[in-house]
Amino acid sequence: MGTLEASGRIGAPPVSARDRLIRLFAVGEVGVIGALVVVVLFFYALEPAFLSERNIRAILTVVSFVGIIAIGQTILLVNGEFDLSVGSVAGLCAVSSAKLMTVFALPVPVAVLGGVLIGAGIGLMNGLVVVRLKIPAFIQTLGMLFIGQGLIQVVTNGYPVYPLPPSVSAVGFARPIFGLGWSFVFFIVAAIAADLMLRRTVLGRNMYATGGNPEVAKLVGIDTDRYKIGAFMLIGALAATAGMFVMADLSSGTTSIGSGWELAVIAGVVVGGVSLFGGAGTMAGGLVGILLLQVVQSGLVVIGVNANWQQIAVGIIMVLAVGLDILRRRFFIAGGAREDAAPADPSPLRSE
Amino acid sequence: MAAETDAPFVVEALSIVKRFGGATALAGVDFRVRRGEIHALLGQNGAGKSTLVKILNGVHRAGSFEGRILLDGRPVSFGSTAQARLGGVGYVPQEIEVLEQLSVAENVFAGQTGLGGRLVRQRVLERQASVLFRELGLDIAPSTLVAALTPAQRHIVMIARALAAKPAVLMLDEPTASLSGAEVDRLFILLRRLKAQGTTMIFITHRLPEVMALCDRATVLRDGRVAAELKRGEFDAGTVIAAMSGQRLSRLYPAHTPPAQSPVLLEIDGLSVAGRGHEQRALEGIDLTLRAGEILGIAGLLGSGRSELLGAIYGSVPYSGRIRVEGRAVTIRRPKDARDAAIALLTEDRKRSGLLFNLPVAKNITIGNLMLFSSGGVLNPGAERAAALRTMRDLRVKAPSPNAAVAHLSGGNQQKLLLGRVLMRQPKILLLDEPTKGVDVGTRSEIYRLIVDLAETGVGLIVVSSELEEVIGLADRCLVMADGRFVDAFERGAGSEERVLRSIAAAQAERAA
Ligand SMILES: Nc1ncnc2c1ncn2[C@@H]1O[C@H](COP(=O)(O)OP(=O)(O)OP(=O)(O)O)[C@@H](O)[C@H]1O
Ligand SMILES: [Mg+2]
Repeated sequence: MGTLEASGRIGAPPVSARDRLIRLFAVGEVGVIGALVVVVLFFYALEPAFLSERNIRAILTVVSFVGIIAIGQTILLVNGEFDLSVGSVAGLCAVSSAKLMTVFALPVPVAVLGGVLIGAGIGLMNGLVVVRLKIPAFIQTLGMLFIGQGLIQVVTNGYPVYPLPPSVSAVGFARPIFGLGWSFVFFIVAAIAADLMLRRTVLGRNMYATGGNPEVAKLVGIDTDRYKIGAFMLIGALAATAGMFVMADLSSGTTSIGSGWELAVIAGVVVGGVSLFGGAGTMAGGLVGILLLQVVQSGLVVIGVNANWQQIAVGIIMVLAVGLDILRRRFFIAGGAREDAAPADPSPLRSE
Repeated sequence: MAAETDAPFVVEALSIVKRFGGATALAGVDFRVRRGEIHALLGQNGAGKSTLVKILNGVHRAGSFEGRILLDGRPVSFGSTAQARLGGVGYVPQEIEVLEQLSVAENVFAGQTGLGGRLVRQRVLERQASVLFRELGLDIAPSTLVAALTPAQRHIVMIARALAAKPAVLMLDEPTASLSGAEVDRLFILLRRLKAQGTTMIFITHRLPEVMALCDRATVLRDGRVAAELKRGEFDAGTVIAAMSGQRLSRLYPAHTPPAQSPVLLEIDGLSVAGRGHEQRALEGIDLTLRAGEILGIAGLLGSGRSELLGAIYGSVPYSGRIRVEGRAVTIRRPKDARDAAIALLTEDRKRSGLLFNLPVAKNITIGNLMLFSSGGVLNPGAERAAALRTMRDLRVKAPSPNAAVAHLSGGNQQKLLLGRVLMRQPKILLLDEPTKGVDVGTRSEIYRLIVDLAETGVGLIVVSSELEEVIGLADRCLVMADGRFVDAFERGAGSEERVLRSIAAAQAERAA
């Protein structure tokens, strides 16, 4: 019955150089991080100003806004769903809280809380419709994207909400670390918390199970509906937070806040190896993906490439990244066996 | 019935070596099949049986392994399963692979062209499918959606799909693992007829009686090498098992006497489950009692309601009726309620409702049991890994490493992994749906040992199996199910396979009258 060989193989797998290489590539983030380094060096070689303090700061500021939402999107994707409405939710929550603190003259913290609650409420609605009515997330959240855009106009009549209370602008102008704003601090703290949650808690592991196969997850006692609805609410609240940080940065509740973010967020995390099919991907990967796309866009600006080409570049990178990821899994993890489309999830491999 | 022993070889696989990463699944196998024979491919879990047939029909593409393949003496190299199918090779994979949102007929003819030109005519498909189904004894309308079928019915659909292409060589990877006696009989009648028509077959199974009943020759694999080649008349259990494992088997079913007056663990009163599709009721007013330390067997044909009963107790199938656990009335609406009442279920279809393909082996074992390795919701990775390794050792799960992808384990090892997951929380009531599906003879007796050991520690077990012999051999008390009702019951030693079949036939006749 092979007890010996069984336990022998389990106990101490010999680690050859080849195995080590395979393991390295099995870590999902290696590809994106490698690409990031190459791209940074490339732009730096062409234009040393690319790595100027100012430019780095500019990149990180944008990353902090989009990244806050990407945290939620990564978690939602791990749970097997995704949200296209984040851009308009961010905008809607920003202008709503702006209205609360100006027209309704509510204290700033209360107005901010109001904005977060609106975001979470929209997330709740998305979640309930997707989970209970079984309407695909694509449809529901695309619908919500339009609804949100409409509501922004309804709330503002098309005019920016301005001026905001001085404390809001104060937050926007503050530079607590390395000349970066509070949005960056929030982003880093939230990212670390979310990463630990995904990798080190029961909650996080159950999310991978939920996204991997909801039927199995239910059978082992996981309330998959709650996980999904919770993830929708979280991304709604995070979108609201990001929207309000931009508002503080601009000192104005502008109607264009968040427009176009939904695609930037999805493209970024997918470049970072978070699977659109659920159950696979890591926080680090998703956020490095966001950074990579931002670096490319900024780099193209710095070396003076026409804006249209930036979009084209983003599109190409996304397709390439996903394509390479599929190849990598096929050759390094499945050992060249083609029928094993079921990918080994990089994150669980990593923690060992 | 034996094929002529000097018939020419149709299939020759020579010096086949197949590696997955660092692990060698086949280490130089020579495998030859003669024209018109039914050739058994035997071996323990992970011996390389599935890998070998996958190589023969293009799942593992030419170039991904070493060695040569000859069909009718001519070298072939298949780049895909489609090419293999055109080359006259039919294949029924071990795991169920169906298109759930298509009808049964569409599934059967999926991937085939030339049926009424470009416009695949639904009617034509359905008519052809119903002919095939009649032969296979499958009683479902060809227009039924596959999503509505039980795992066993899905398996029959896959067999029909392979047959639809009229292959010259048909390879069946554990086709009987999820079928019950009557279905197996019908399948065998069909296979014998195919053989009479000149079809050559490769037949993988873990059930030795099937080999004796059906096969002309057998090749036994052990650890990726050929351990023996046997002819009809040479394959008695002793020889085969010795070849497979290099050791002899003791008694297959360990002795067990249930405690005389142990407390009642589970009481079920008037449990009913609504049927799917046309049938009104999948289960009708079921009463059942399970005592601590008792092994209760449920015998019945495919579709008799066995799996629904387990599903209802576990909360994955909505039911009406009363359930009491240790004297307390419980309402089980979801699996979580059942788990909180210390009930555990091993499901029948490991691909669809068992494994998480996005998580590696160790994490597949611990999922659902994480409360054991965490405090305040934070995991303790060391404790988790240790527990997973302990389970792998205890149940002898053969895996390249705890971090390997579950897709790379052989079928039987996947089954052991799932059993380990279910046992980790030490349930009081354990529901086992086909616990030895796809498990080799050696492991099988280990699992029986495990079941009996659990019973000795006071766990109550309900075992559902398509193999009557297994239910009868294991159970202290055996209930016979037909059309959603219990039609017979007997204590250990008082029943036989014949009695079960007779009660089922009698119940069906009564119903028909
Ligand atoms: N795609 C794969 N990647 C890595 N290893 C694999 C892969 N497929 C099979 N193996 C390994 O190859 C060996 C042989 O597996 P195979 O599936 O052929 O066994 P089997 O004889 O069919 O067993 P069972 O009776 O359990 O179905 C096993 O050790 C298995 O873990
Ligand atoms: Mg197999």
